[in-house]
Parts: sequence; C-alpha cells; structure tokens
Amino acid sequence: MTDASKLTFRLTKEEDAPHLLQWLSDPKILRWFPMYDAREVEDAVRIWIGYSRIEAGMTALWDGVPCGMANLYIQPYKKQAHTCLFSIIVRNDMRGKGIGKQLMEHLMKHAKDKFKIEILHLEVYDGNPARHLYERLGFKEFGKQSRFIKEDGKYTAKIFMQTAL
Amino acid sequence: MEEPPGLDIRYTYVTDTPYLRQWLEIPSVQQWFPVSEEREIADCVQCWIGFSKYSASITATLNGTPCGIGTLFLMPYRKVAHHCLFKLIVDPKYQGKGVGTALLRNLKHLAKNYFHLEIIHIEVFEGNPFIHLLLKHGFQEYTRQEKFVKDDHGYHARILFECYL
Repeated sequence: MTDASKLTFRLTKEEDAPHLLQWLSDPKILRWFPMYDAREVEDAVRIWIGYSRIEAGMTALWDGVPCGMANLYIQPYKKQAHTCLFSIIVRNDMRGKGIGKQLMEHLMKHAKDKFKIEILHLEVYDGNPARHLYERLGFKEFGKQSRFIKEDGKYTAKIFMQTAL
Repeated sequence: MEEPPGLDIRYTYVTDTPYLRQWLEIPSVQQWFPVSEEREIADCVQCWIGFSKYSASITATLNGTPCGIGTLFLMPYRKVAHHCLFKLIVDPKYQGKGVGTALLRNLKHLAKNYFHLEIIHIEVFEGNPFIHLLLKHGFQEYTRQEKFVKDDHGYHARILFECYL
C-alpha cells in the first residue's frame, strides 16, 4: 500500500504542533473528535503535544514531512499506569495508504517497550471508519456511552475498545 | 435515610482542600480512588478543588465542619458539554449516615438546574459500596473495563455508571 522508503516514524516533537493544528482544523477530521472550534482545537493540541516531553507521542513522516500522529495519554496514577488511552490522526489526503496501521503498530510497540503498558484502550465515535482498523489490530469493544456527542440536537455514541499488549 | 442533624450543604471553598487531602490519605477511602501516594493525592486534590471556582462543587458540613465533597468535573468542549463526570467522597467517620445521599441529591440538582446537564456519570472500582447508593438513585451501569486497576491485591475492574437527569 505504501512506498516503504517514503514512510518513516519518529517520536513526536513540539514543532509538530502546527501540523496537528492544521489537520484538526479540517471539519472532515474534526467531526471524529470532541472539539468544536479553533479555541478548543488549540487546547487539545497543547495537551496532545505536551506528552512529547515524556516521549509518549509517535509521528509518521512521508518524505520527511509529518503525515500522522498518535499519542499515549500516560496515566498519572500508579494503580492505572498499566493501562493507557491513546489517540491517532492521519492527514486527510494521506489516508488509504496504510499509514494509520503502521503508525498504530509503532505506537503499540512503544507503549509496551517504553511504558510497560499492558492494556491499550481507545474511544471512537459510532460510525467512524477507523473502527475497522482497530478491529484488525485486535481491539475489542467493551462498552458504549450512548449520548456522548451532541451536535445540532443529535447524539452520537462513544464506543470503548481495548487490546492486551 | 434521614439526614443527620446539623448537616448542611454549601458550595466548596478552596479552604476545604486539607479535608479532601486528609480523607484521601485514609487507606479505607484511598482503595476506591486511583491515588496511592502523596504526590498523586496532591495532583488529584488540586484538580478536584479547582472546579470550585466554577461553583461546580459542593461540600457537606456537620455543625460547620466539612464531612464530604461532591464535584462536577465539567467538560471543556461544547459537543460534550451536556454531560460530565462527577466525584464524591465522604469522611469515613460519617459514612452510612446519609451524607452521601444528601450530596448526591444536591449534586444532581446542581447539575440539572444550574449547569443544564442532561447526564452525569461516574467511574467506580468494582466492590465499592457506593455502587448501592448509585443504583438506588437511578444510575445504570453502561460500561465495565476489566483489569483497569492494579494494586497489591491484583487487578480490579472499573465500572461506569450514568444517570439521565
């Protein structure tokens, strides 16, 4: 699916923030995230990129340019430090090249090797096609929150999925 | 259950912080929360009490002394602002005396009438006796995540309950 020589991976850096901000500003992408406007997106980007300080983020590059990112929201409490929520994003015009799958595989290995994560979990909105990718990677649904998102009076469920590493 | 004489409910003040910290240090209370050491308690308390500046937190007092706190962790994004997570804690000396019931009732009222929330939800660890109170007050389990908590006794599930207001 991809030209392997063009796709590389490295830890996320603070200077990746403008890319993330730009991707999340695309309404077609933002619909799958809880943020609504520019202020909320900036807030979410600040939190996401903040995890790069503990090397919890992974960036995919196409010809050296960021095209996707994934982040481990490392738990601040010892009792829950064996579990971790993550988020992932791939630039809209770079989808369908297998970047998301490879980025996930790098993130899962990083979670296990560096942070000793045993259980990786995610939250995905009902209808998000990314769900198929998560299923292919072994994630199983374990819960659902029916009225998580409310937009224009309509509700969308949030689905919880996890996998053991 | 009747409320104990001398019980009052007021908004939480920042000066209630030492009480919250003290309760979270008690092992019989701490076992139901993610914290397990001083630094974690300090972080947790700071975040928790921070919601008092939005008038999203209430304190139960007995003859003027704090004996419990209930707090709405308001969501920062508009698409999810119709619901929120809450936390509730009662001084173990006063558990089983109606303090938790009074806090829960007042918190639901605050959520619905002041913040116009549609749903409040809570995460509890399996075995927490607070589950009985939640079920009595119209909460329903919507998700269960096995092995979410890991301590000296092994793994425990977290259970997510919600209540439509």
